[in-house]
Amino acid sequence: MYDIHEYARQITRRHFFRECGVGLGKIALAGLLTDAFAARSSALGTPTQPRSPTADPLAPRQPHFAPKAKRVIHLFMAGAPSQLDLFDYKPQLAKLEGKPLPPSIIGGQRYAFIRPDAAVLGPRFKFAKHGECGAELSEILPYLATVVDDICIVKSVHTDQFNHAPAQIFFNTGFAQPGRPSLGSWVLYGLGSLTRDLPAFVVMSTGSGISGGSANWSSGFLPTIYSGVRLRNQGDPILNVSSPPGVDPRLQRDSLDLIGSFNKRRLETEGDPEIATRIASYEMAFRLQTSAPELMDLRQETKATLEMYGADPDKPSFARACLLARRLIERGVRFVNIYHEGWDAHSDVSGNHKKNCGDTDRASAALVKDLKQRGLLDDTLVIWGGEFGRTPMVETNPALGRSLGRDHHPQAFTMWLAGGGVKAGLTYGATDELGFHVVENPVHVHDVQATILHLLGFDHEKLTYRHAGRDFRLTDVHGQVVMDLLA
Amino acid sequence: MFNNDVRPILAKHCFKCHGPDDKARKAKLRLDQRDAARRGGRSKQPAIVPGHPEQSELIRRIFAEDEGEIMPPPTTKNPLTEEEKQILKRWIAAGAEYRQHWAFVPPKQVPLPKVKQTSWPRNPIDYFILARLEAEGLKPSPEADRYTLVRRLYLDLIGLPPTPEETEAFVNDKSPDAYEKLVDRLLASPHYGERWARRWLDLARYADTNGYEKDRPRSIWPYRDWVINALNADMPFDQFTIEQLAGDLLPGATEDQKIATGFHRNTMLNEEGGIDPLEYRFYAVVDRVAVTGTTWLGLTIGCAQCHTHKFDPILQREYYQFMAFLNNADEPVLPVHRPDITRQRQEIEKKIATRVADLPRHMDNFESKYRQWQEHEAARTVRWTVLRPTRVKANLPHLTVLDDASVFVSGDQSKSDTYDLSFHTDLRGITALRLEVLPDDRLPAEGPGRIYYEGPFGDFFLSEFRVMAGGKKLPVAKATHSFAAGKATADKAIDGDPQTGWSINGGQGRAHTAVFMLAEPLAEGKDLHVQMLFERYYAAGLGRFRISATTDTRPAVARDMPADVEDALLLPEEKRTHEQKQRLLQQFLMTAPELAKERAEIERLRKQMPAYPTTLILAERPPENPRPTFLHNRGEFLQPKERVEPNVFSVLPPLPKEAPRNRLGLARWLVSPENPLTGRVTMNRQWAAFFGRGIVPTLQDFGYQGEPPSHPELLDWLAVELVKQKWSIKKMHKLIVKSATYRQASRVTPELLAKDPHNVLLARGPRVRLEAELLRDAVLRSSGLLSEKIGGPSVFPPQPPGVTTEGAYGQLQWKVSEGPERYRRGLYTFSKRTAPFAMFATFDAPSGEVCVARREVSNTPLQALTLLNDPAFTEAAQALGRMMAARTGTVAERVDYLFRRCLTRPPSPEEKAQLVKFFQMQKHRCERKELDAAKIAGTDNGDVNERAAWTVLARILFNLDEAIVKD
Repeated sequence: MYDIHEYARQITRRHFFRECGVGLGKIALAGLLTDAFAARSSALGTPTQPRSPTADPLAPRQPHFAPKAKRVIHLFMAGAPSQLDLFDYKPQLAKLEGKPLPPSIIGGQRYAFIRPDAAVLGPRFKFAKHGECGAELSEILPYLATVVDDICIVKSVHTDQFNHAPAQIFFNTGFAQPGRPSLGSWVLYGLGSLTRDLPAFVVMSTGSGISGGSANWSSGFLPTIYSGVRLRNQGDPILNVSSPPGVDPRLQRDSLDLIGSFNKRRLETEGDPEIATRIASYEMAFRLQTSAPELMDLRQETKATLEMYGADPDKPSFARACLLARRLIERGVRFVNIYHEGWDAHSDVSGNHKKNCGDTDRASAALVKDLKQRGLLDDTLVIWGGEFGRTPMVETNPALGRSLGRDHHPQAFTMWLAGGGVKAGLTYGATDELGFHVVENPVHVHDVQATILHLLGFDHEKLTYRHAGRDFRLTDVHGQVVMDLLA
Repeated sequence: MFNNDVRPILAKHCFKCHGPDDKARKAKLRLDQRDAARRGGRSKQPAIVPGHPEQSELIRRIFAEDEGEIMPPPTTKNPLTEEEKQILKRWIAAGAEYRQHWAFVPPKQVPLPKVKQTSWPRNPIDYFILARLEAEGLKPSPEADRYTLVRRLYLDLIGLPPTPEETEAFVNDKSPDAYEKLVDRLLASPHYGERWARRWLDLARYADTNGYEKDRPRSIWPYRDWVINALNADMPFDQFTIEQLAGDLLPGATEDQKIATGFHRNTMLNEEGGIDPLEYRFYAVVDRVAVTGTTWLGLTIGCAQCHTHKFDPILQREYYQFMAFLNNADEPVLPVHRPDITRQRQEIEKKIATRVADLPRHMDNFESKYRQWQEHEAARTVRWTVLRPTRVKANLPHLTVLDDASVFVSGDQSKSDTYDLSFHTDLRGITALRLEVLPDDRLPAEGPGRIYYEGPFGDFFLSEFRVMAGGKKLPVAKATHSFAAGKATADKAIDGDPQTGWSINGGQGRAHTAVFMLAEPLAEGKDLHVQMLFERYYAAGLGRFRISATTDTRPAVARDMPADVEDALLLPEEKRTHEQKQRLLQQFLMTAPELAKERAEIERLRKQMPAYPTTLILAERPPENPRPTFLHNRGEFLQPKERVEPNVFSVLPPLPKEAPRNRLGLARWLVSPENPLTGRVTMNRQWAAFFGRGIVPTLQDFGYQGEPPSHPELLDWLAVELVKQKWSIKKMHKLIVKSATYRQASRVTPELLAKDPHNVLLARGPRVRLEAELLRDAVLRSSGLLSEKIGGPSVFPPQPPGVTTEGAYGQLQWKVSEGPERYRRGLYTFSKRTAPFAMFATFDAPSGEVCVARREVSNTPLQALTLLNDPAFTEAAQALGRMMAARTGTVAERVDYLFRRCLTRPPSPEEKAQLVKFFQMQKHRCERKELDAAKIAGTDNGDVNERAAWTVLARILFNLDEAIVKD
């Protein structure tokens, strides 16, 4: 297995001076290079202490208290799956199908497409209880049913936003407009990175397109080094990771050596620590050119593993992304975001969800299983969920060519979490008999965020960054850790 | 003492509960005002007794040992240090003097400080810098060499590196004013405006798409060009401000001044299906408030959106009063009447007119056919009487009845708008009503609808058309239309289903009609009402329309014939005016089947007619329909409370009595000499552009929480000087670059690194990594590829495939521009908010989603990969490879030239030898076919091995720290 501590050994000063052709310069120079290269976990205190100008922004750091989770894989079901057809079984809806909901329930809720007097739509699938925990799941989640005792289902999540882009950005950054740091960026800022051979916050997309765009993995006002990096489906997996046409590895190495030697001389004459950082960046870039193809080479995986995920090594898919996520965290990556888009079932919720479950169910369950069998699930947090839920009411509109769909529903939706210190086999929270409102143990998106940070060892009120005269945090001025979810 | 030592402590530990926010205030005690602190809070114990710490409750409580007594309460986990406690004690002992926060006190120019090294200063700036250095026991660095200076000046003033020829011209110019001449020449360069516009566009959050999910393209580049032109013309900063915030309100506003208001049209527009448009309009105004605060006042007033500012003296109410200035504008699209396009259009119109006049000649028996047509049409034309509404009403939009009895709709709109029209007519036996939907150039895509987001611009969606008389709904038997979009036919407006309706997509910019035939004739029209419902998952109201009635008993149907033509047809020929006759003739000529072939040519000409580019602007609401502004509880859109009127913050000088309470009044107030902030904030930003760090490092925050200035007197001197120099930014830039401070070498000695790692004291020149766009511009110029064209629509330079499509919801096919458009300067690159240009994002360029006063400067492996491997940089290296291979001279001579092209200075012998060796080695490897030279060099003429070796050498130079950094 890959040893994440290997990095620390590789990048000792001695290695650098030997391998990178840096001669013995002045003491100050050597010091600068050490600063630029060393991963100094002990030298840095709490995440919010001011950092020195030459400090390495990605050096591993200790959180506020002992963490349960050390890394996160977030399976973001963009477009918003229907909790009513996957997790939150409401037989009452079947009974009321075709009738409008009483206005007293709907209140003043604004809807994206439907009129508030739209009729009720019953669950589209059969449900059954699974596992020892007896959690109820829809028939279109047969694989998840096999790991149901390892996950924690939360049926009472609610959000403030009822449109995709704002709701996705809200889930990821705690604020509905672009401009704030994303969860992954906060985690990197707080914990630093365990690898220099790969980006520490990786983003994949396996569907039709992410409404909130790059704001979802932006570092906002945090330094840009904490931004998510796209692992792409076409061309280079990481932008520009391949050398230009015709440039062979030797030429690339020779070129980097020459660049390094010029930059080193520059560092000697100019003395600016940023030059040392640049020298280090070029070396890391070179290593990325090797580690990225190695990461992507799924032929190293056994047939059984590929089979378990349902992944074709050469074809981009959610399954392949999940397998890559496992490989990424094995290699020291802190935060992996996989966006699977296309759950926005304004029409034919049944057909839409059959397809999306077909694309995601097996691999999501395989990921949990695989992490568990490799002993990684204990300190890896897996999160599955969308940006909001879907209405108990039907969306039907011949003018738009829609029938038997469901509209956006911010009042209640379901997510599941696994590993990383979360109570396995728990089903938490409940909605009313129509699945409209949360009636038990409401969990706001800010609470989810606070809980994730808690699992990673952070007091969400203390993980702050001073920007524009204010200490900002992921949960703004809200958020309660949901203690009931903790193992 | 107060501003430097005491207020920061109070702000950090006390103001949250005992500060300006009356909602958060505990124990009714406030410590941000001296009188209030002396009075004390609920306990009536004076918190502060000047001169007597022992009698001051504040001192007792901060030194208390009892958990319940101690302040700040231990639960806040925000304890005072021993030193802080002592400072507060000493301050009270000394009289507890309060001082206004430095940034709110008007700046003054103090006499220049005395310095020892009197030979060093070149202008006033240097006295301030040197005095501080001498106080800290430091010496300034020597002046940088001429190569460094010429590169620094070029990069700073025009954002491009000098060519070797330009470099030599300066280096060899031995005249005493060589430096000044160069500065003047660069300030006069048209590239100056480009370089400085990009920085301003960061604040303006400029982008070429709308943002959010759909992120569709928008056209607002004329605003970007306005900024470039204004900066090139050295438009005084006060005027620059006024035109951008309120150009539309200036008397006799020119088209340019309207274009300038695009500054605040750079807000995002959410086009996601099903959003509440009013909610996102509100967020856009929230953004305008924040951006105005950051850009001119250096204040983070956004905090007061949700509650009274915890730290700065800004009340929540004041926030919304400030918002009221910016909340009273409509947001139209302006066609930019460029003279060249007007000329082309006139030429084509002339050709069309000639051809139309010529049409009758192409028809046999024209006269008799025309007569027959008139008779035939007249016989089947129904007589319509235009009804002028006696009363118009709508849920939210503003309906105005025009002279021709048509109704124009303006103001805000929602996803469900209802127009109510009342009529009083003497007509008896009304059998049908006609709805004319009319184009109007004030509407999106010239109307007739008001759709401005998500749906087809200028369309509408008439869900229901209801007729009522005497309080009863009249059944409509049949509805017909002259034009409809697909299945959205007029009869869908009478089917009782609000989800279906009539729309005209594809017919924008033209008039159309729908006719609604009543089931039973209406005996009396004295109490006639028409109600129209527009309901869609986006706002889809009508923008201009007119209602008519007929009593004709023949079944009336909608016809594709303009109403005025119908009117003319019904008149006896002798009663028709000349104009009516012309209209009839036109109608005949444009519809007669026999002329189809000839008309095709006319159609072809029409299609050639170039459209005017458009841009987004602000237009103040008409006085009869102002938009009210409310205080919003907790800043929430859905919680409006009491109405507020425009006003400025009480901590700053008041708005003059005679000033208009609108954006113009606000803009003038911002740049009035009394405003203590605008001059400082503006000069601080200029300073940061040159030195990489502001005198106040928090460029966006001059409030209590911002960092204090390193050289307060210099900042004030510059702020006052800016006004003295009539707000000329170019003069201020000249002043800065002529200073000895600016001209220092940038070498970092170990001593300086230890003493002043951030170069706050400026004992050396700046070293700053080039901004994303400038880095690319520099490589393009070095490689000879750069197109120097200024302005115009944004372009699509090469970038790796998939950046704007993969994973992006609002996918944009990045169709790479051809020819010189591939090599335009970075600020012309199409800026897509949700999927920014990859290279720029990697180098910290903003996405245009928020206002950025200071870009991050990161230094990452992904940047290295971009410069090493990105196809655009490869292309530039190949261009240089071509250039070098074609150049005469020895390898060493050419290496020298290549080096100068990329790094300005000549290489040292050691460097040259290293590069020559590298070149020879790679050439050798190519010749031995170890390397695929053709792949490296690209296809072209000339010795491929040479080109390849030069290409890889150029690539090395692009990646050197020295090429990436301005020093």
